[in-house]
Amino acid sequence: MSQPRVIFHLDMDAFYASVEQRDNPQWMGLPVIVGSPPDRRGVVCAASYEARKFGVRSAMPSSTAGRLCPDGVFVRPRMEVYRDESRQIMSIVKRFAGELIQQVSVDEAYLDVTGKVEPTSDNDSLLESALTIAREIKQTIKAERRLTATIGVAPNKLLAKIASSNFKPDGLTLVKESGKAAFMRPLPVGAIHGVGKVTEGTLVRAGFKTVADLQDTDRDLRSIVGSWGPELKRMAFGEDDRELDLGDDIKSISSENTFLKDTADRVVLRKCLREQADEITEKLRKRRLAAVTVQVKVRYSDFTTLTRQLSVEEPIEDSKQVYRLACWLLARHDLVRRPLRLIGVGVSGLHEVTLRQLTLPFQ
Amino acid sequence: MKFTISKQAFLDAIQQVQHVVSARTTLAILSNVLLKAKPGVLELTTTDLDVGVSGTVAADVEASGATTLPARRLATIIRELPADEVHVTVDEKNVASIQSGPSTFKLLGLTSEEFPPLPRFDGGSEFTMKQADLRDCLRRTAYSISTDETRYVLNGILFAFKDNLLTMVATDGRRLAMVEHEMEFPQSHEIEFIVPTKAVNELQRILGDEGEVTIKVTGSQAGFDMGNGLLVTKLIEGNYPNYRQVIPGDPKERISIERESFLRSVSRVSLLASEKSNSVKLIFTQGNVEIVAASQDIGEARESLAIPYKGPNMTIAFNPEYLMAPLRNLTTDEISLNLIDEISPGVIRVGNTFLYVLMPMRVTA
Repeated sequence: MSQPRVIFHLDMDAFYASVEQRDNPQWMGLPVIVGSPPDRRGVVCAASYEARKFGVRSAMPSSTAGRLCPDGVFVRPRMEVYRDESRQIMSIVKRFAGELIQQVSVDEAYLDVTGKVEPTSDNDSLLESALTIAREIKQTIKAERRLTATIGVAPNKLLAKIASSNFKPDGLTLVKESGKAAFMRPLPVGAIHGVGKVTEGTLVRAGFKTVADLQDTDRDLRSIVGSWGPELKRMAFGEDDRELDLGDDIKSISSENTFLKDTADRVVLRKCLREQADEITEKLRKRRLAAVTVQVKVRYSDFTTLTRQLSVEEPIEDSKQVYRLACWLLARHDLVRRPLRLIGVGVSGLHEVTLRQLTLPFQ
Repeated sequence: MKFTISKQAFLDAIQQVQHVVSARTTLAILSNVLLKAKPGVLELTTTDLDVGVSGTVAADVEASGATTLPARRLATIIRELPADEVHVTVDEKNVASIQSGPSTFKLLGLTSEEFPPLPRFDGGSEFTMKQADLRDCLRRTAYSISTDETRYVLNGILFAFKDNLLTMVATDGRRLAMVEHEMEFPQSHEIEFIVPTKAVNELQRILGDEGEVTIKVTGSQAGFDMGNGLLVTKLIEGNYPNYRQVIPGDPKERISIERESFLRSVSRVSLLASEKSNSVKLIFTQGNVEIVAASQDIGEARESLAIPYKGPNMTIAFNPEYLMAPLRNLTTDEISLNLIDEISPGVIRVGNTFLYVLMPMRVTA
């Protein structure tokens, strides 16, 4: 068996909405809905717990939210503020958890705090002793940032995530090693990491509604979900070996700029793209990587954001190539037909360069 | 319109033109083949507005006329017909009745008046050569055409008529294939144009072993007239890069190699070229070349070939696909491999008519 671990899943409660309520105390206790106004196209990014009582959920069209909660306080998202807040919170987390942090999104992270607790031979008491750290993190975030967080404490990512999402807000839930199979039993199969809507449907049709059904069956799950069967079975018992993804093997590199004033000026845009291409290829060069995919991103005045990408046969490491392909994508998809608020370039499909195909010296 | 035709001849004629029809088209009529019946002859035409093809086939025509029918569906029907003869009648509503032995098909067509006519070539330059020669020139260059859609001008073959030579060039920026074919034409006819990939592929299909082809060019279009068949194509607009500048000067080493043995050796060894680096090394020593491929997680392959090499020891790496492509498409027994050093382009030559420039691969420091 692998080494016992202590994993936290930290999830900020109704993050965007809570930030808005904190910064606008007059909205405390009111249903705050962050996203497009109800009379506009667009969706809800986040809803405060007061708004959730009306059935408002994130990703729901704002018009629907407006119907469900006519007295809701609709607020335009302030992404820069949330990102900055996120950085502040992560620096608090770092104080207690160290470097083993996998930030999943702006308001969510996995922490591996195994090394921060006194080693014991008993897994359950190892986890219990970590509760102190979890409490300290929650208290510090509340004291310094005036926001609440929910933490799930468990021997792996699967359980930690379920523990935090099922007991919110301001929650702290421990799933012990000895109790993990029992903890999983009553959950719907969709609670398992990797079971999306499609797989859930397939499982339910095959007679597996709850995780208990998966635990108790003698059937080979491979006949239902293919090669993933054995892993699904292990997850049903609360087993999960996934390591934290600390992002040390990077998957993509990108660079973007928001303009002070929206622009469609080709000269300005070209200069910007050239600098971004230089910045990206400099990073590629340092890591001895080349990319097969180039992506451009544009955002218009109304925040509509588009991305377009293209893959090439021969991995690219040259700034001129990144620039050329970025320009080609913009032209091909006619992306600069309106002034841009933001322009960005990214590369992915990164490969180590060991052998380089030389090119003919055309001028 | 009414005609009787041999099933096989009809099928051959449809198959000759049906590749031009694209599976997804916004204009319904472009999915159709235009059929024109004249005394003794049936003419079939397809187009996707970029490339158009037409061909003729002998038929016993009772009543002349024209219609258009869904090309792919017609081809499938004709292929499956039970008898050797096919009787086709088309009424004024463009409903075709296709009858063969005991079976009858009714197929709904569209009026021929909506079918976009192929462009005409009046007063442009004209060049005539043997069909087999043109097909051969295409075969020896087409594999080097770039598939990179961001380099539009390279998505075709350059035809340059100059100094009583037809020079054809294709390159994808890593290798370049060039053929030269002697022919006679007045200096006033000198011209350069780029024929797109789709037209190149269709031409390779249509050109035969016998007979001549007349190439006609006006502004933005070219036609290839084979007498019983015609292909017209839009040309690629833009300037082809100056290919002369990437052809290296005097080589240090000229090595004569037997084409087929070289091809087979590279092909075998490349089985163990890793997907990631996809390269084979050629290690030249006195009188010998060793071809090596190795990948860390698979294994390695080596093969030696005796060659008349007298130069200093040298190792050069190539993408095996790029090395094999010209060898596969040539027919001569021997080729000349010309090298300078491990980072300069290698050249494969056959006499004065074929030249292939290939950039090596280089281990990064």
